[in-house]
Amino acid sequence: MKYSPGDGVLLVQGRSSFLLAAPARERFTLFLEDCQGEIVQSVEPDDLVVVSAPEGGPLEPALLLLRLVRDHHVPLIVLPRGHPGSRRLRHVVSVAPRVLLACGIQRGTHPEQQLICSSDELAGTILHGRDGGVELEHVPPDIDIEILRG
Amino acid sequence: MCSVGGPMDVEYKERVKGKDYKCKDCGEKFKGVGKHPMCPSCQSENVAEE
Repeated sequence: MKYSPGDGVLLVQGRSSFLLAAPARERFTLFLEDCQGEIVQSVEPDDLVVVSAPEGGPLEPALLLLRLVRDHHVPLIVLPRGHPGSRRLRHVVSVAPRVLLACGIQRGTHPEQQLICSSDELAGTILHGRDGGVELEHVPPDIDIEILRG
Repeated sequence: MCSVGGPMDVEYKERVKGKDYKCKDCGEKFKGVGKHPMCPSCQSENVAEE
């Protein structure tokens, strides 16, 4: 399934969790900061900026986070394994051409951008950024998908 | 059952492997990933792998 959100954002909504995805739209450098140092990721226009909310909640903070990364290029902070802050995170971010949703990982601790923490109901879904749109694979049943405009 | 945020964590073999680059325009050294590495200081694409 391919979606073209244009300037909008794709919402993948489960019963108790959700995910936002949008193409980066421009080339930029994104900083990944972890305990070992800094990695400079070159982001392409078709790459996806994905925000996962494994526990659901209001959309607005997730939209703000997506815009902070996509439009203002704020650095991504990676926590070390076992860090107590991992439990506090309600939203996590990935920026990559292809993103796999996985529920068996600790939030905020994986620097691999092709992987993002999700709820079990969305786990296994794969997102591809292609031709300015978002292509979805392996979407579980009973998941609603819509484009948020504006 | 999902274990997000819990004590379990899956190790993935494919880790971020940044390459070392040096900007030919401003001399900045950085570790980069992606198709078209750009200098984080001057945004130049005139960079070389070290």
